[in-house]
Order: sequence, then C-alpha cells, then structure tokens
Amino acid sequence: MQHLLPLAAVLPLVAGALVPAVAWRRPDRAWGWAVAAGSGTLVVTALLTLRLLRTGPFSYPLGGWAPPWGIELRFDALSALSLGIAMIYLAVLVFSRRYAQSAVAPQRRAWFYSLLLVNLGGLVGFACTADLFNMFVCMELVSVSSYALVAAGGGRIAALAAFKYLVAGAVSSMLVLFSVGILHALTGSLNMADVAVRLADVEARGPVLLAVGALTVGFMVKAALFPLHLWLPDAHASAPGPVSAVLSALVVKLGVIGLVRVLPLFTGLEWLSLAPLQEALAWLGAIAIVTGALAALLQEDIKLMLAYSTVSNVGYIVLGIGLATPPAVTGGLVHVLNHGLIKATLFLAAGAIIYRTGYRTLRDLRGVGRMMPWTSVALSLGVLSIVGLPPTAGFLGKWYIALGAFEAGRPGFAIALLAGALLIFVYYLRILNALYFRAPLREEMLAVREAPVSMLLPVLALALLCLLGGLFGSGPVALAARAAAALAGGG
Amino acid sequence: MTGSWQNLDYFAFVALFCIGLYVVLAKSNLVKKLLGLNIMETSVFAFIVTSGMVDGGTAPIVGPGVTGPFASPLPHALILTGIVVAVSITALALALIVEIKRQCGTIEADELKGLD
Amino acid sequence: MLDFRVVLAPAISLACGLLVFVLGRHDGWRATLTLSAALIKLLLILTLLPGSLEGVVYGYRAFDFPPGVGIAFRVDALGMFFALVSSTLWVLATVYAIGYMREQHERVRFFGFFALCVSTTVGIAFAANLLTLLLFYELLTICTYPLVIHDETPAALRAGRKYLAYTLCGGALILLGTVLVQHLAGSLDFGTGGLLRAAAGQPLLPLTFIALVAGFGVKACLMPLHGWLPTAMVAPTPVSALLHAVAVVKAGVFGLLRVTYDVFGVELLAGLGYMSWVAALAAFTILAGSFAALAQVNLKRRLAWSTISQLSYIVLGAALLTPLAAMAAIVHIANQAFAKITMFFVAGAIERGTGRTELHELAGLGRVMPWTMAAFTVAALSFIGVPLFAGFITKWYLSLGGLQAHAGWVVLLMLASALLNAAYWLPVVYRAWFRPPRGLAEGVKEAPLLLLVPMLVSAAYVVLLGISTRVPGMPFSLAEAAVHYVTGIGAGP
Repeated sequence: MQHLLPLAAVLPLVAGALVPAVAWRRPDRAWGWAVAAGSGTLVVTALLTLRLLRTGPFSYPLGGWAPPWGIELRFDALSALSLGIAMIYLAVLVFSRRYAQSAVAPQRRAWFYSLLLVNLGGLVGFACTADLFNMFVCMELVSVSSYALVAAGGGRIAALAAFKYLVAGAVSSMLVLFSVGILHALTGSLNMADVAVRLADVEARGPVLLAVGALTVGFMVKAALFPLHLWLPDAHASAPGPVSAVLSALVVKLGVIGLVRVLPLFTGLEWLSLAPLQEALAWLGAIAIVTGALAALLQEDIKLMLAYSTVSNVGYIVLGIGLATPPAVTGGLVHVLNHGLIKATLFLAAGAIIYRTGYRTLRDLRGVGRMMPWTSVALSLGVLSIVGLPPTAGFLGKWYIALGAFEAGRPGFAIALLAGALLIFVYYLRILNALYFRAPLREEMLAVREAPVSMLLPVLALALLCLLGGLFGSGPVALAARAAAALAGGG
Repeated sequence: MTGSWQNLDYFAFVALFCIGLYVVLAKSNLVKKLLGLNIMETSVFAFIVTSGMVDGGTAPIVGPGVTGPFASPLPHALILTGIVVAVSITALALALIVEIKRQCGTIEADELKGLD
Repeated sequence: MLDFRVVLAPAISLACGLLVFVLGRHDGWRATLTLSAALIKLLLILTLLPGSLEGVVYGYRAFDFPPGVGIAFRVDALGMFFALVSSTLWVLATVYAIGYMREQHERVRFFGFFALCVSTTVGIAFAANLLTLLLFYELLTICTYPLVIHDETPAALRAGRKYLAYTLCGGALILLGTVLVQHLAGSLDFGTGGLLRAAAGQPLLPLTFIALVAGFGVKACLMPLHGWLPTAMVAPTPVSALLHAVAVVKAGVFGLLRVTYDVFGVELLAGLGYMSWVAALAAFTILAGSFAALAQVNLKRRLAWSTISQLSYIVLGAALLTPLAAMAAIVHIANQAFAKITMFFVAGAIERGTGRTELHELAGLGRVMPWTMAAFTVAALSFIGVPLFAGFITKWYLSLGGLQAHAGWVVLLMLASALLNAAYWLPVVYRAWFRPPRGLAEGVKEAPLLLLVPMLVSAAYVVLLGISTRVPGMPFSLAEAAVHYVTGIGAGP
C-alpha cells in the first residue's frame, strides 16, 4: 500500500511496454490489456485520492533516497487531477477499440495502445511529482508519445501536423530543460520545495529571470496559449478520434499544471515580483478566449471547431491563474478538470459520428441527430456544459473566474469572459442546429446507424460526468481551492 | 578567470541555443529544422554538464587513491536522460519526414504550405 | 417550509416532455399525456394557493453546488401568481394546440418541447435565487427555439436565429449581473427585500443594474431590445400564444420584477434614481409599440406590437416603485396574458378556418364565426381599458400608482394608450361585425370545438378578472398578497 504512489505511473508505463508482447500475433488482445491497465490506474489513483482526502498530502521518496537528494513523488491537492486523468483515459481506451480496428493496421495496433499507455503513465507521473527533472521526463514521455499518436492514423495532414507539433513541442521542452538546468546550477538541487528555499539566497538575477522567462514561454507553448497556439488546431483536428480527445482534454493541460507547479518557486524572492508575469498571463488568456472563439466560429470542420475551442478554454484557465485571486485560481484549476471531461465527451462523440458517417464538416453532418440519437444527446450535454449552463460542469470554472475577476478589481476581464461564453454559445449552437434541425444532404446518411456500444458507453459516461461534475462539483472545487491556496498564499 | 569571463561558456551555450532556434524557425527544409533542433538540444546538454563542473574537480568516479573534489555526477545523469529523449525525438522526426516525403513529394516547408 | 410540491410542479411537465419524446408517436396517447399532465400540474399548483394567499412561503433546496448557492425553489406570492397564470394557460394552450396541430409535421417534437417550455417557466416562477432563475431562463430559451423554427422554412430559421441572438445576449448580460450581485452581496437568495441594500455607493452597482435590466429586458421587449418578437411571428399560432402570453415574455417581465423587488429592493432603487430611466423607456415603449401596431396590416403582427406595448405596462408599474403601481404590474401579468392569448387563439382559428391573415380580410367574420369574434371583442375591450374588463383594472391601478409616485403623467399616458388601443382594435371589431363578408368560400363556419373552447374560456377569464376584484380567493387577492410580499405594505385603496 505504501508503494501505491509510484505504482500509479509505473503501472501504465510497464503495461505499455508489455503490449507488443501481449499482442504478439493476436493484435486484438492489445485492447483488452490496455483497458485492464487503464482500469488499474483508475483504481490506484482513486485510492491515492481517498488517502489524500483522509490524511492530507503525502510523499514518496523514490528508491528510498530521502529528498532533497532523491526524487520525491508527492500527492497533493493538485495531484488529485490524476484521478480525472485516469477516468478520462479509461473512457478513451474503451472507445479506441473500434477506431483502432478500422483505422490502424493490425501490425501497428499494439504500438498504438502502447503509446496510449505510455502517454497515460507520463500524465499521471507529471501530476504526482515534486522533482523538477522528473517533471521534465514525464513531460517528455507525454510529448513524444503524443507526437507519434497524432500521426498514428496515417494521412498527409496528420503527418504534417505531427511534425509541426513535434518541432513546437521539442523547442518548448528544450526551454524547460534549459530552465531546469539553470535552477539546478544556481541552487544545486532539483527538488521543487528545496529549490524554492534555496532560490531566495541566490544573488545572480539574470539567470533567475532567464529561468522564469524560459519556463513560462516553454509551458505557454505546451498549453497553446495565444500567440503560441498555432501548432494546436491542425494537430488536434487531424489526429485520430481518441487521440484528439486525449490531446485536448489532458495533454494540453500539462502546460498549465507545469506553470502552476513552477511559479511558486519564485515567490520567495524579494527582488522579483511575479505580478507583471501574472498580468501578462491574464491578458493573454483573455485574448485567447476571444480569438479562439472567433476562429472556431469560422470553421466548418467539426474537429477544427473543437480544437479552436480548446485554445479558447485554455485562455479561461490561464486568465484564472493570471488573476491570482483565490476564487479565480480555483476556477482556473477546476476548469482544468471540467474542460477535460467536456472536451473528451465532445471529441469522442464527434469521433463516433465521423466513424459512422465518414464526414467531418457541419454541412455533411446535417440531420445526424436523428440517426444517432444517443451520441447526439451526449454531444448536446457536452455542448451545454462547455457553454457554461448551470448546473453543468463547465459553469463552475467560469463562475469562479468571473467572481475572481471582480474581486481583483478587473471587471473588464469578467466581461471578456462572458463575451467569450456568448461566442462559444454561438458556434456550438451551429453544431446542434446542423445535427438536429437540418435535413441530411445525402441519401446515404439516412442509413447511418447509432454508434457501436464500445464507443457509445464511454461517451455517455463522460457526458453524465459533465452533468454530475457540476451538480456534485463541490469536491473538485474544494480540492482546487486547496491547490489554489498553496499557489497564492503559501508559495 | 574572473568576472563574467568565468561564465563565457554559459554565454556560448545560450548563443548556440539561439543559433539552433534560428535554424528551426528560418530554414525551410524539414531536415535542416531537425538539425537546428539537435543543435538546441546539444547546447542545453552542454550547459547542464558544464554547470556540474567544479574548479579543479575530477571525474566523479570513486576508486582507490582518488580524492576530491569531484565534479557533480548529477548533471551527467540528467543529460543522459536528455540525450535519450533527444534521440527518440530525432528518430520520430525522421520517420515523419520520410512519411511526409512519401505523401507530399517534398520536404520544403514553403512548398508544403502551398499544398495544404 | 420544505415542500416537495414545489419541485414536483416543474417536474411534472418535464417528465411529460420526456415521455412525449420517447413514447409520443401515437396521436391519442400524446394528447392524453399532455392534457393530463397539464391538469395535474394546475391542480398541484392550486393546492399551494391557499397558503400563498396567507403569505406562507414554501421552499425546497434541490442541489447545493459549489458557488455556495444552489438550485433551490420557493413559492412566494409573486412566484405563485406567475405559476398559476402559466399553468392555467398551459391547459388552454394544450387543448388548442391539439386541435391546431392536427395533420402538422413533427408533432412529437412540438409537444415535447411545448411541455418542456412550461416546465422551465414554472421553474422560473419558483426560483429561490438568481442562479436558479438564470438556469431556467436559459433553458427556456433553448426549449422555445425548436418551437419558433417549427415550420423550418427559411423565414422561420431566420427568425429563430434572430430570437437566439437576442435572447442569448440577454442571458449573457444576466449572467454578468448575477456574478456581480454575488460579488457585491455575497448571496443570490430572494426573499430578503433587496439583496443589494447594503451595497449602495459601490462603483459596480450601475453596471449591475444595466446588466440585469438589459438582460431581462430582451425577453420583456423593452425598447430597443424588442426586435426579436415581431419576427418570431412566423411560428405556428399556439407557439405565438405560448411565447406572448404564457412563457417567454412573461418570464422577462417576471425577471424584471424579481430584480426590482428582490435584488435591488424598492428603497435602494428609490435612492439611486435609475428607475426613472426605465420608466421613461417603458413609457416610450408603450406609445411606440401602439403606433407601430397601428401601422400593421397583418393581424399577428399587430398582436405582436400590441404585446410589446402592453408588456411595458408591467415594466412601468415596477419602475414607479409604489405599492399601487406594483399591484398594477403584477395584476397585468394575468390580464395581458389572458386577453392576448384569446386574441391569438382567434387569429389561429381564423387562419385555419378561412386562410386569412390580413386585417382588411376580416370583414364580416362576425356573421360566420360569431363566437370567435365575440371572444376577440372581449379581449379588445380589455386592452382598451373598458370597465368590467380586466384591462381596466390595470390602467386604474397604474394611474393610481403614478399619482402615488407623484408622476401625474402616467394618468395621461394611460388615457393616450387607451385611445391608441381603441384606434387599432375598434376598426377590426367594427369591420368584423358590421361589414359584409367578402369572398368567403362556401362552408366556412365557426371554429372547431378544440379551438373554440379555449378561446371562450380565456375570454371568460378576462371578464372574470375584470369584475372579481373583491372576491376572496380570486387572482386579484393573490396579487394583493404578492404586493404585500414585495413591498411589505398592503396595497389597495
């Protein structure tokens, strides 16, 4: 039981490594193995979260080496996100079965699941680590598997998008590694808490500023924050269905979580005030909200629309973090989870529709609501959620961030937030309008059947979570508030 | 060496990083971009390793008759991991470039932009 | 006191709506389902009536989710009034719709969303805090959209887009206002006599006011936010009836009433002086709406502009901030609703029976469809403000309220409005009764029973509301209880 914390990340990683062996000559076994590993991860993270709720944050020294010499894994309020990660990932893994059967060649199928599991392991590891370099390694696990997964479905656009993503991601990773190197050179330590303490004694200002700057820019690229978001739309839109869900819901949040983990390191310095940085983040977040929404409005392809919507929603989260008042940061962090749930629902539902119909543009998908009623219901729930209708999950983040904006004395940001919400409403209504209130353009659309059960169940489960996440959202909000307090007050 | 001359190597690495970044951004050929990326990665690794150096330190290997000061071995471990990551990224990028060449017939970014 | 009936009321029509979607293919079953749900709901709300008359407030807390506010319901006299009006009208509208929508396409979708609309309306009426109100308000927008675009013609789709554009912007403004209220007052609950009482002088207060008034003003058709209503006339007549009398516009004015009495409170508003702007806008709307109605040639369009004009009576009543004016505002919710729905029923019956929609074509219909036109006449007289009809009560109390507020111009406004109403209703009535019919096809006769009975019942209500002010237990006393609740003072001469 005491080794549960590393198990959370190690389980999917090892399972991912073993997939090719398990699926030797029997490619369809890979799915079952992957789902089992995903379920195991879910159980482990659930147990960890339970322990967190009962006794508070706890640590695990890797290899028995006590921090700050060893690598420390730590499960605190922010790490509870790993439970959300595991939930979403399990849904994605269950969903992938049909997709992989149709789009991935049999000899590659095992590698597909392998990559997915490595991705999961990296995500969970990233959330649970208190060591800077360990964070970098987990980030790379996620990033490299993501680059490969984008191209997994084949196709020209996917390959190009994957390359663009790779270049952007690798540059940002190098920036982060560079900063980690600077911090290590200055303080001699890699443990986050230790670095925070030692950094206060460092006299060389230039390198510290360079480190802050490089970290921020690096994580901004990972989070696709305006104006460094250009790699995202193509990557998320041309990736295979389940991969888009993972990318938009989870991988993109690495940048945000990274910022939240790393910025408190610099708050102990008397000569450095993070306020200008937070101000800049708030502004960029607000601009991202509006530009992302406007760009989404112009799209015809449903997946591109969803991808730009991700850009917009990351803007919300960063705005919340940039405003730096407790409700705003709570709202931003809660939106990390909620947007993950919602975006996964939307991408998986869209993926199911594309799987059945073969079409991706709103024009071609007219009237699908009648042929695929349950999938469309799930999609509609996701739409209502992301629009922020109470009491769905999407409402919580927006409410707290708006409240935080007023508390910070910046009503303009609250107005930007609501304007963005309105724009979001418009383009998602376009989707619903096309699905339900237009007649299909082609005869063949009438023969479309409902999505297969293995796709439908996870989609509906996630849609239900979108609804419940709002109604019973006091748990995540409380955890987010704790994490926010650590960010604003303690750090 | 005194003053900022002490840190000449660090400036060199930052310069190398910027050169690599420039190559990534400015060059059109995908393989050249990849090379720029590798230059960036190398600069960061060199930076980290150099930061572990101690004045008058020797290789961090304990043995009979070997006394300190030792250079810090931690950065060595760090960059080994980093090199592994860099190699896998390079391999993946090369595979993607081959695929792009196969699908699009070109690996010049300018021409590829026109194709989309 | 905690009472499950409070949440049962909206739940019934919600269940009905969902059942219609799943099981509603068969005409007979669907009709039975919707009708029985309507009746059960009305009866349920009636059981809450005696308590409300005494001033009892029922409550039910459903979900307490994070913002510290929850989804909660409460039945106070004001909410009760609104809920009673809409439930009664739902029964009538359902009967009418069953008759009108025979042989029409997409009946399942129609009746399903019809039921959901009323569910959300009662949710608005029984909302215990601003957040619940907002939730059901937005749900109402979503549920009425499929009804507006029912015919799916290009005109209908355009009208639907315009409707959504207006109402969604309004909703966003209300959300802004809600967050501001939470920020300024720390709570969103109704029933405190003015959440923002302690917030006078705060710099964000004007923004809050504008956001909430403009937000609710969209559905309340306060000029210049009224543009969606005339265009929405392309909807089938039962939908127009629902929109104009029962649900959407009444939700807008109800929201404004809640904002006035429960969010800001009469004292704060009197101190701030913003309401004089609103009163001016309302007066302008009353007049401009009437002038626009005069210019219309299409019957439904004239009804639309008349609605815009009439709604501002309610807004004006709230803006004057006196108990008598509040009386007028609340009572007019019912008066306008019943009279307007009568007129819409008539318009639909005429269209079904003769295919005519333009006003000059209505000559002589009194001969052929006497009961129909009688109902229309009753409603027209009510709008003009003839004593013994409901509309007179409103004008009377609004005038008194104006005098109470030292705003004598209100009396003049009432007279002017009465004259304008006469100018655009009386010619229609005259033409119908005293001119010979032209070009009527053979076999045009009185409207079928399913269309006729609802309009006669609502016309009877119009008369009833006009004469029964002293009868205990009748709507008027409920309105009095509501005024007592919102102003803390008794009303009435």
